Amino acid sequence: MSSTLPSNLHKEILITGFGGQGIVLAGQIVGKASSLLDHNESTLTQSYGPESRGGYCSAQVIISEKTIHYPYVRHPDILVCMSQGGFDKYGASIKADGTLILDQDLVKVEEVKCGDIFAIPATRIAEELGRKMMANIVMLGFFTAITGAVSLEATRATVADSVPKGTEALNLSAFNKGYDFGLATLKGRRKKAAGKKGVGA
Amino acid sequence: MDKLKIVLFMCNWGPHAAYQALQDSGADIPAEVRMIRIPCTGRMSKALLFRAFEMGADGVALVGCEPGTCRYGSGTAVAEGNVEDTRGILDLLGLGGDRLRLAMFLPEESQPLLAFLQDFYKVIETIGKSPVSIPPREAPPAVTREMVSQLLTTHDIYACQDCGKCSSACPVTLAGKPFSPRAMANAIIGGSVAAPEVVNDVWSCLTCGLCYDRCPSAVDFPDFIRDMRHIQKVCGRTGHEAHGGFFQSLMRTMTSPDLKIRHWQWLPEDIQTDPQSKTLFFGGCAPYFDTYFKSHLGVQTSGILVDSLRLLNFFDIYPAILSGERCCGHDLLWSGDQENFRRLAQLNVEAIEAAGVEEVVTACPECYRTLSHDYPEQGIELKFKVTHIYDLAEREIDKGAIGFEKLDRNLTFQDPCRLSRLEGRPDLPRKLLHRLQPESFTEMKDRGISALCCGNCAWTGCDSYTKTLQVKRLRQARETGSNMLVTACPKCQIHLRCAMEDPFLGDEIKMEIMDLTTVLAKTIRWE
Repeated sequence: MSSTLPSNLHKEILITGFGGQGIVLAGQIVGKASSLLDHNESTLTQSYGPESRGGYCSAQVIISEKTIHYPYVRHPDILVCMSQGGFDKYGASIKADGTLILDQDLVKVEEVKCGDIFAIPATRIAEELGRKMMANIVMLGFFTAITGAVSLEATRATVADSVPKGTEALNLSAFNKGYDFGLATLKGRRKKAAGKKGVGA
Repeated sequence: MDKLKIVLFMCNWGPHAAYQALQDSGADIPAEVRMIRIPCTGRMSKALLFRAFEMGADGVALVGCEPGTCRYGSGTAVAEGNVEDTRGILDLLGLGGDRLRLAMFLPEESQPLLAFLQDFYKVIETIGKSPVSIPPREAPPAVTREMVSQLLTTHDIYACQDCGKCSSACPVTLAGKPFSPRAMANAIIGGSVAAPEVVNDVWSCLTCGLCYDRCPSAVDFPDFIRDMRHIQKVCGRTGHEAHGGFFQSLMRTMTSPDLKIRHWQWLPEDIQTDPQSKTLFFGGCAPYFDTYFKSHLGVQTSGILVDSLRLLNFFDIYPAILSGERCCGHDLLWSGDQENFRRLAQLNVEAIEAAGVEEVVTACPECYRTLSHDYPEQGIELKFKVTHIYDLAEREIDKGAIGFEKLDRNLTFQDPCRLSRLEGRPDLPRKLLHRLQPESFTEMKDRGISALCCGNCAWTGCDSYTKTLQVKRLRQARETGSNMLVTACPKCQIHLRCAMEDPFLGDEIKMEIMDLTTVLAKTIRWE
């Protein structure tokens, strides 16, 4: 399954958002998918406390081919922000070539030094699918498509495994929606880079 | 080899004297040439010229008077236009425009006329026999009571309560025509099938389906009318075909299996297609419409096909296309010719399946309805899926990262009856319309499932009442304050453009028209 993943994989991932958005679950799924199904090492540290009453909260995930010696993420390769508070606190910590992933309706970015920024209206999409609480799964799909840090099959299987019984189909459709949005975003960037914005001649 | 059949339509006035001189002197006129005297070349419509080919002519020569010597003034100029357009149609059909020729001679030019005829014979001999072959029709039976009563039962016309909701909604009735679906139904139940008013009513219906939508007993008048037309046709009566029956004639001609149609030869080079693709784009008859109406309305419905293909390419879909694509048969079905409809359907389905296609995409609401609904209903099974391009576009755009550029127009929308009413999907084009970024989008008074017809269907029954209806529709469009009418069917565009040509109403009903596919293709962007 990991055949499509980059070699020398070592990604430090920080997922931030409000308490209640399913940030930690998203982190868990990334770590589980990477270790159990992609056969890498992974660690998860979560930070919550008073934040879980609506402030920022975060999940720190490291996935690596090699043994991980230190489980905290200081400078993430991938920073996922699902709340403005999360971005304000951790935005500056991202690596210079890191990837920033945002919920575009919830986070406004002024200026940030990083490699690339990708945005998705994850919460809006989840709302359209009927359950706002699936925003984390939509984001996970988007994350998988954009970063390729975990394989599609592994993440999809882990999502089906980790969500409450009876909601698997709905959550998988949310995941696919996010994943498709990610592929479309990448495709759009490729097209633009090739100088093709619109249709035809 | 059978003898060639060359028809010579010869104007009564100028060249006929030259022809007579040839006959009198026993000149060597090729024996295959059969001369038909006509009053003026300008009276030979495209329908008449084409009809000769439908009936198996290998070549047709139209011979008239030199410009300026036409007894009626404009005859020769009209003939030039008609011949040019018909040649274009023959090229698309793969018959070859060279099979039709126009020439002019003065009465004393008998030798040049002879030379022309001998040369034309040689040309036709080189091209060879026409591949058009249409099985002869059986002798028509009389309309029997059984045929009609079976239809009445099948469509449960007896359920009609004579409540009048249909006539109060029918756009033809509202345009002032003495026409009523329920009155017709009751007259037919009463046994007067052959009464002139009933026959007239059968051909006046637009089959737009508004009455079916309103009927509390769910009597499907459009389907009933369609089958009544079939009975009329089987029994050898003529319908009220518009344009001299040109389009029906064209479609019947397409039922010849040996025809090597060249449907896509005009396609711009930047369009990418892939013969191996499992997705096929089914274009429809737009190229024929454009050729036919070229000198009249400046219609450019082929643009819809080009923009559809560009849109598919934009989504990284490189579809197959059928060079021998035939008409889907919609207009034959709805003008009562089920036999030839089935022939066309069979040929299309065979060609599509031979290409190993799994999904057929079309941008025409009539093709969509006919392929997906009428083919199976008429007993032709499909092994492929039929998708309207709006469904495909909506699916792709919904994946995200696609947006639309601002469009500095105020839009309103003309629903196509086949998609919005008969297929019951008025929301589909609207989903896309709401994604666009125009200055404004305003619906017309009658819209969606209650929309007014563009005025004609299946190239039948065009008259002053349907014109009234079109004017009414265009006034509704203008009342929205919009300056662009978005259409979703090539025929809506043709009919409404035609109504706009009215010299008395002038600018009152004129507005820009653009197909939704074209609007999408013009403004879609990667974000």
